[in-house]
Amino acid sequence: MLKDEMAAIFGMNPPGVKTIICSLPSTKKGPLPSPWLIKEDSADEVLSGLSPWQIEALAFDPRAAFVMLLDLPVHPPPGIVFASSLRFWIAAARFSLELIAREQFAPAIRDGAARWTPIIDEDDQTRVKSLAKSLPPSCLALEEEGPSRKRSKEKGGPSPLQLVESFIDLTTDAFVRWSLITEKTKLEPDLGGRPPKAKPLPRQFLRALAGEDPALKAPLKEVTAFSEKIQRWLSQLKPPSPRAPFRTCFRLDAPTGPAEASDGVWQVRIFLQSKDDKSLLVPAEEVWKARSNTAIFLKRKINNPQEHLLAELGAASRISPEIERCLQDACPAALELQTHEAYRFLRESAPLLEQNGFGVLLPSWWEKRGSRLGLKLKLIDPEDETEIDPQISRGLFGLKSIVKFDWELALGDSTLTEVELRDLIHLKVPLIQVRGEWVELPPEEIETAIGFFEKKRREGTDAICLEEAIRLGLGAEMAIENDLPVLKVEAEGRIRDMLSRLSGKGEIEAVDVPASFMGTLRPYQTKGLSWLSYLHRLRFGACLADDMGLGKTVELIAFLLHQRAIEDLRRPSLLICPMSVVGNWQRELDRFAPSLHVMIHHGADRLSDSEFGQEAERNDLVITTYATAQRDEESLSMIRWQNVVLDEAQNIKNPAAKQTKTVKRIKADQRIALTGTPVENRLSELWSIMDFLNPGYLGPAKRFHETFALPIERYRDQERAERLRRMTQPFILRRLKTDPSIIRDLPDKVETKVYYHLTSEQATLYGAVVEDMLEKIESSAGIERRGLILAALTKLKQICNHPALFLQDGSPLDGRSGKLTRLEEMLEEVLASEDKALIFTQFAGMGAMLKHHLQEKLGCEALFLHGKTPKKQRDAMVQRFQSGQDGPPFFILSLKAGGFGLNLTAASRVFHFDRWWNPAVENQATDRAFRIGQHKNVFVNKFVCMGTLEDRIDRMIEDKKELAEAVIGTGEGWLTELSTEDLRNVLTLRCDAVED
Amino acid sequence: MGGYWGYYEPRRPKEVEDGIKAKSRRGAIGEKWWSKRWVALLESFNMGARLGRGRSYARKGQVISIEVQKGLVRSKVQGVRSKPYEIEIRFALIADDDWEKAIEAMGSKAIFAAKLLSGEMPKDIEDAFSDAGCSLFPGKKDIKTDCSCPDWSNPCKHIAAVYYIMAEKFDDDPFLIFKLLGRTKEEIIEALRERRASTLPAEEVEAADDAPPDLDECPLEERLDHFWEFGDELQLVAPRPRPPEVSCAVLKRLGDAPFSIDKSNLASNLPRAYEVAGQAARKMAAKNGALDFA
Repeated sequence: MLKDEMAAIFGMNPPGVKTIICSLPSTKKGPLPSPWLIKEDSADEVLSGLSPWQIEALAFDPRAAFVMLLDLPVHPPPGIVFASSLRFWIAAARFSLELIAREQFAPAIRDGAARWTPIIDEDDQTRVKSLAKSLPPSCLALEEEGPSRKRSKEKGGPSPLQLVESFIDLTTDAFVRWSLITEKTKLEPDLGGRPPKAKPLPRQFLRALAGEDPALKAPLKEVTAFSEKIQRWLSQLKPPSPRAPFRTCFRLDAPTGPAEASDGVWQVRIFLQSKDDKSLLVPAEEVWKARSNTAIFLKRKINNPQEHLLAELGAASRISPEIERCLQDACPAALELQTHEAYRFLRESAPLLEQNGFGVLLPSWWEKRGSRLGLKLKLIDPEDETEIDPQISRGLFGLKSIVKFDWELALGDSTLTEVELRDLIHLKVPLIQVRGEWVELPPEEIETAIGFFEKKRREGTDAICLEEAIRLGLGAEMAIENDLPVLKVEAEGRIRDMLSRLSGKGEIEAVDVPASFMGTLRPYQTKGLSWLSYLHRLRFGACLADDMGLGKTVELIAFLLHQRAIEDLRRPSLLICPMSVVGNWQRELDRFAPSLHVMIHHGADRLSDSEFGQEAERNDLVITTYATAQRDEESLSMIRWQNVVLDEAQNIKNPAAKQTKTVKRIKADQRIALTGTPVENRLSELWSIMDFLNPGYLGPAKRFHETFALPIERYRDQERAERLRRMTQPFILRRLKTDPSIIRDLPDKVETKVYYHLTSEQATLYGAVVEDMLEKIESSAGIERRGLILAALTKLKQICNHPALFLQDGSPLDGRSGKLTRLEEMLEEVLASEDKALIFTQFAGMGAMLKHHLQEKLGCEALFLHGKTPKKQRDAMVQRFQSGQDGPPFFILSLKAGGFGLNLTAASRVFHFDRWWNPAVENQATDRAFRIGQHKNVFVNKFVCMGTLEDRIDRMIEDKKELAEAVIGTGEGWLTELSTEDLRNVLTLRCDAVED
Repeated sequence: MGGYWGYYEPRRPKEVEDGIKAKSRRGAIGEKWWSKRWVALLESFNMGARLGRGRSYARKGQVISIEVQKGLVRSKVQGVRSKPYEIEIRFALIADDDWEKAIEAMGSKAIFAAKLLSGEMPKDIEDAFSDAGCSLFPGKKDIKTDCSCPDWSNPCKHIAAVYYIMAEKFDDDPFLIFKLLGRTKEEIIEALRERRASTLPAEEVEAADDAPPDLDECPLEERLDHFWEFGDELQLVAPRPRPPEVSCAVLKRLGDAPFSIDKSNLASNLPRAYEVAGQAARKMAAKNGALDFA
């Protein structure tokens, strides 16, 4: 079964299933489940120590294991969790892969077989130790097979270091061998004539290194002798004297003569370098003066210093012909090199010496090389505006508008003229001195640069599109024309201002909140509005990615109103969102922007084609769902939209999905994406959203994957991550609720209503219950009537929660409740931002259903506390929930059991899944999170189903809050006092309640 | 002659339990150039079939003991008789003043001492000796060999076996050659140092203890609270597959291998492997992680 699952999930086929024995932390009953597995609550788990258990395991050969580890996706698919030990071995596999990529391996012989062995030099050695130190203890749990299956109390089994080393060993051999086999590489030279009877060992050795069978076929003694010699050969890779306090060090000094003279003399000086303080250098001259067997340099003792130095020089001379030459002196202390020799030393000898454990000190300009020949651009502010782009005259740029530039050829910090460049071409060595600074400059680059000069002379004007200019201006490492990289971009006038604003350095001018906005914006929300307006003025796509609860919706509504206020254009905008939030948008638009004409395009009776077009033109905003947009692409493309806005933009995270492609085809002046998930961490998602916002800006998906996604996600390339951040930052505004500036603007407790629709199944049930009740109370009175009403209320609440809760039939939950769907989406965002949430419900049955459903859907643990949970277990749950990031992220509580006494400040999100219709009770529950010890703002979400009793009662409470407190008291009894007509009014389903 | 030896030959020498065996199992014995020079000297004696027998004696481990003194090698070799034969090889010592001249010449270039101390015989060291009017490798007339076996031929196969074993010893320690010529390693190093050292007084010696810190490991039973988790050090590993700074660096650091195939050195057949595997690994690292974008 394990095997099938592996194959199904990852498309891999492991060779076999095996039973192994592992020592695991156990209770008396059995092994403790690993912590990332969701456990059923049991309070009496007392750890009794390690015990051996039989476990079913998949067996991989080293190559299959290696490839599997490297191929596993960065983010496991939903419902799958990668254990820490797996993630550890993934890191170890990547380390092995790095060694092979860097060609750090060598042929060796082990147990009579030819093996590729990794070569781990000094720096890598510390990384191997880091691996060993971080090895999860669980990786040592495997017991040796054999008759005695008891773990010995003494050290048994491999140490972490041995385990890590043997992993690197096996994977290196497996991969190198496999690559040679795949490429059909034959290492041994062809035989001249007919094959000799017995194959000599060296030939066998080469064959065994590149074939399936590593064994050497010769008598053991011969193989042993052969192996010893190979071993001795390999021992030359070790640092010459590992235990000595000093090592030999070579320092290359550039000529100090007059600038411009590139033919000065370079010097390699020889030192003994202290190993514990690498800045302590003893010149070789001093060493040659020593007379006794032991000398003290810089307070460090060294035996036979001269012989030590000489022996190391002898070893170094094997690697470096320069050193060999300098040993022609009696007491070598320094060596003079011509520039071309110095270049060879820098390029080849220095790295080899360093790898062999010698100290090498090179000039700083070489160490931080990278001053390449490239262009310095100066973007010119378009003065004669008509010449460039008609839009620019209105201050609108647009990414595709054209900008002129001046350019200079630059090398490092200095500029080069064409004449200077032509002088350089005669140099034979790619090391040159420009204005006193040494730089490496390969001849190809000089050629390219000269070609560029010539091309420019032929063509004249220089212009690029603004998109390119911004990319370059923000530090994208990209080449324009003939692969000459752009090193620096300067700009003037408006373009300079724009670049500085986009890179976050310049202040974006604040926009007034439009008068038609019926509400107030918090300061950071006004900033968001200003930012959206600024990007709109430039016609750049914008992604508003504020944390859930910060009010992206109102920011966008204010932006739409602002646009209406300042522009004469009156074309409709299109908002695409998941069905689950359509209601929410409707409500928020109603409340904050009653002046906007909003049309919902959804459902079976929606308009199409020209009818749709005409109707849409009469509105300011058309709201539709992703699913509908995909079906109605034709109708939607009839209109040139002012804005296309994607809410929950992670819905287009898959660039290959049909839905994504459709959405990207819809034409609009301005594109906006809203999302609460941290897009910057999911690079394929980031690419797809950016591709919607500013098509082409991040380049094609494949190239993006190679240059950014892969190095950043798999290999944590900080430099690229930073570059990508710089490039995308202008188009993404993401504020976290933990940002100090945001906290200042926020009340400690932020309450939000979450509006949602019923599914048609829910609506049918709901209608039936209401009708049934109204019929029955017609003919009853007093206690009986009250009883009937209360029973019906409970049923309606159950239906709003989930049909399965009402039907009590244990049927599957997915997709049958609008409320549950919305909760899932919101909890996904909670997970993505590494928050924790409390979920309150008054139905214990709902709590249990939620627990299982959420665990399955979201792949993480949800605790559930209800009235019957014993105290001991309850305390354990609270403690686990509070125990930092490792604890479970969700805590479901029945309102009665969890309403008071508990301290759950680890959560900063509170969801009231169903309502008590009593603010006091709800507040008390909310206060589990919002209480002393809570350092974060608390975000409270209350679910309200549109058009149902939830909605009606919520409005009643909102409308007459004080009155409501008085009327409602502490329960729901007041509802039973309503007249039948009023009840009908309150309970009957309104038309906007249903999804479709 | 054929008849006599034909009768004698099938007799196998008595086996030796802890004999000194040549490491080389096939082909020539002695891998370094100076050892080869030494073997060439032996081969110049035109010993015919004895040479091959001597080689197989060396491989079988018939040489029981070998003792190197200044100008003298004493050895015991087990032949067909029950009592091992006694062998002596005497070398003409280089005269003291010639030694001084040779050391003078060696001291003029650090490469001699540097190579010797790193276990190699510098190539042009012969020049240093010939400049001093002597020879590093003894000629036929500089050597007197003696064996207690009944073979009338000198050198006999027993002597040859000792020669071969000596060749392998030279492989490991080139200084042995000097010992045969009258100077120990210590004497030469001392003399060279004297030459280099200036008149500055040497500094006093102070003993310093260095105990390498040990990484202690606690047993699995005591690591239960973090049983499943990896440590923070993992982030220090930060693997980043990339091309090497210098291609085939390991091979370049290794130099020639002690084996050849036909006429090419073993190592010269290996660069292709580095190219192929390095390329495959870099490709693997850059591979479109199809699963990520699925």
